[in-house]
Amino acid sequence: MSLKLFRRSLWVYHLNSGSCNGCDIEVLNIFTPYHDVERLGIKLVASPRHADVIVFTGPITRETLPKAIRAFFAVPEPKAVVAVGSCACGGGIWYDSYAVIGGIEAFYRILENYYKIRLPLTVYVPGCPPKPEAIIYGIAVLRGVLKQKQRKTYFLEKEVPALTRDFIVNLEKYMKQEGGINIGKK
Amino acid sequence: MKTPRIDIFKEALKTGVVTKKYPFEPVEAPEGFRGKPSIDFEKCIGCEACVNICPPNALSVEIDTKRGIKRVMLFLGRCIFCGRCQDVCPTEAIKLSREFELSSLNSKDLYQIVELKMAKCKICGRYYATVRQILFTAKNVPKDQRPLLLLCDECRSKVSAKHISYARW
Ligand code: SF4
Ligand code: SF4
Ligand code: SF4
Repeated sequence: MSLKLFRRSLWVYHLNSGSCNGCDIEVLNIFTPYHDVERLGIKLVASPRHADVIVFTGPITRETLPKAIRAFFAVPEPKAVVAVGSCACGGGIWYDSYAVIGGIEAFYRILENYYKIRLPLTVYVPGCPPKPEAIIYGIAVLRGVLKQKQRKTYFLEKEVPALTRDFIVNLEKYMKQEGGINIGKK
Repeated sequence: MKTPRIDIFKEALKTGVVTKKYPFEPVEAPEGFRGKPSIDFEKCIGCEACVNICPPNALSVEIDTKRGIKRVMLFLGRCIFCGRCQDVCPTEAIKLSREFELSSLNSKDLYQIVELKMAKCKICGRYYATVRQILFTAKNVPKDQRPLLLLCDECRSKVSAKHISYARW
């Protein structure tokens, strides 16, 4: 699912929703001459009404929630969201604090419950703070320029040796015999 | 004094282009960069040391008492890349790499899940620890005391109390 909605430049509105400023500095960093995303047509705008993409940083504190909702609805459709930093992705280090909502997913749950909207395309950029390249990569994934590398990994242990008295006492002998039992090999 | 514009152009040409071509050209993270942590399935013994130390609880553990399975979960979307899990892991199963390209369009892709089988206590039949963890511990325990590892904490303390009282009388 790549973004075919935006053919040309992406205009970005940066919303600090209670971030510690680490992520904001990295977002500003991608506009410096070293990374210079304006060469890709990405431009920072001052008003959400001019934007295509809204960049969230921070875990969305209670204080910023009403403002974040207003800014979110001010961005015209079709829109996309970039959640920059661990705070915006899943609450980060503050995830269980009383003062925060807990990231973009909790924010979406609120939007779904109270406003019954379809959720926009979202790209999650983990990192605390993410490298400027990581943010550029996130936007490239959003545009469908680069492929997403990260996949869910799942492992289920299939076979385990039967734990008997004899087995555990003569463990060394059995280990030498089979060489296949797994006890956290170094 | 005003600098003529042509001089500014000359200066700029002398400096050359500093902009990186990043999305079209790969970039290596510097040495010692703390990037994506990943759990090596073959090495993890399910000891929960990393779960205890993780500051934002990006690592969590669930015990399925019906199936007898311990599930260690790593959610990268909450990880702050501090590297403490790497320091405490006894088998060096979890390690931080230099990989930073973790962006994904679905938050489910940020999970890493390891499910390990647990052993039943030989007396009360309760699931109490993963098989791998018992075997890992057994290597450092004298042979005559190893059978005690096959019991859960409660039964083990009862049995060892019994042993001590027999020894005394
Ligand atoms: S992810 Fe880290 S750097 Fe970014 S706002 Fe949260 S605490 Fe700060
Ligand atoms: S690097 Fe830190 S935050 Fe991330 S999983 Fe390890 S201990 Fe938890
Ligand atoms: S500390 Fe290492 S061995 Fe223990 S549960 Fe975590 S990853 Fe697995």
